[in-house]
Amino acid sequence: MEGLLAGNDDAIRTLYARFGRPVYSLGLRLLGTRESAEELTQDVFLTAWRKAARFDPGRGRLSTWLMTIAHNLAVDRLRRETGVSRPTLVLVDEVPDAPGLDEEAVLMERDAAMRALETLTEAERRLVSRAYFRGLTAREISEADGIPLGTVKTRLRSAMIKVRKANEGKDLL
Amino acid sequence: MNCPAVRDLLAEHALGALPARDTDAIDRHVAWCAACRKEASELHTAAAILAFSVAPAEPGPDPDLEDRVVHAVQRSVQRRPVQHVAPSRGRLAVAAVVAAMLAVSGLGWGAVMAGRAARSDEAAQAQTDAAENAAVRFRHLLETVEGADPEGDVYLATLAPAAEGGGGGSALTLVSPSIRDMAVVLVNGVPSAERKGAPFTARLRGPRGLHLTVGTIRSLDASGSGIVVRDFDRDLGEFHTVIVRDASGNIVMRGTISSGAPIASPTP
Repeated sequence: MEGLLAGNDDAIRTLYARFGRPVYSLGLRLLGTRESAEELTQDVFLTAWRKAARFDPGRGRLSTWLMTIAHNLAVDRLRRETGVSRPTLVLVDEVPDAPGLDEEAVLMERDAAMRALETLTEAERRLVSRAYFRGLTAREISEADGIPLGTVKTRLRSAMIKVRKANEGKDLL
Repeated sequence: MNCPAVRDLLAEHALGALPARDTDAIDRHVAWCAACRKEASELHTAAAILAFSVAPAEPGPDPDLEDRVVHAVQRSVQRRPVQHVAPSRGRLAVAAVVAAMLAVSGLGWGAVMAGRAARSDEAAQAQTDAAENAAVRFRHLLETVEGADPEGDVYLATLAPAAEGGGGGSALTLVSPSIRDMAVVLVNGVPSAERKGAPFTARLRGPRGLHLTVGTIRSLDASGSGIVVRDFDRDLGEFHTVIVRDASGNIVMRGTISSGAPIASPTP
């Protein structure tokens, strides 16, 4: 982080080597174009530099911090572009790939993430995906599916906690 | 928003699926509530796991992107070096404390006098006095608040009333290397007829049309004054315009935050 703050070439490249691809991939999924995803990636690293002094490893992992920045910036961008008060995210594929070991997965972070998602039922995965990747609120899901709002909120929360617990103690995320 | 209401929305908050209004309210709450902040942190970790579940894009980004990222960061470092200060503990109730102190500090008095001045040159002088004094007062206040950061740069805006309105105001942003950035918007001397337009919403406008809500002033006191303070988990250095709107969306006051050199910087 000190290297990033100082603009150290090696430090920035090390951070990019580890997180550039996941940030870009998330950007492409949410924003839908290579150009937007590349702009987002650049904005994420600039924002990380601006906030680097405030990053406290005692309160969260670097990966969580960076991906939260990436998701927030993508949502901000969509809100600006669409002029709506909540994100209308581009749907590339609604549900993450079927869980399981992907032989072609080269990123250990993704492997850990997929293992965490394995703990969810298909319905739970679909639910959190509709919120995270499509920006649907609990109310909208409730209305679309004809399920009580409280039930949707409870399911969202329990699914998120399940994912978090599945990843507990892991060093990757 | 109280803890049960906040916790009801934390999962959606972590998923980025809340309207901006609710997001702002939750951000303000978790800034001072440790219990809700802990739960929010857990849920954000889960959300990051979802982010990492996305398959690596094929093809990947342009090979030049790495160089562009490096150069963009290095250009920013050259423009505005960031001082590395360890994150400050106990910083989270700062906004509330500062708000209470500012309410009795007299900050913004110059704007009131400007509104009441008979001659334009008197008004201009009052505004200038306000600009010179307000940031200094603010820094003095920060120095007395535990957890606040007097090492940041303070930028000031003097708020002018809309064409037919009255009153005035001040706005400050604290751009800090070590704590969350902070914005303070204070209105004074709003004529009684216009107070009916409450609640008033203060917002910052930044690059590419991005807006941040500082907060809502539900009602003004007998002198037509009100204040809102908020800290932000983002850099306010690029937000240069302050706009205060009434409940109907009409602009009541606006001002431009000084760009370039800060009005008040730490004394070496």
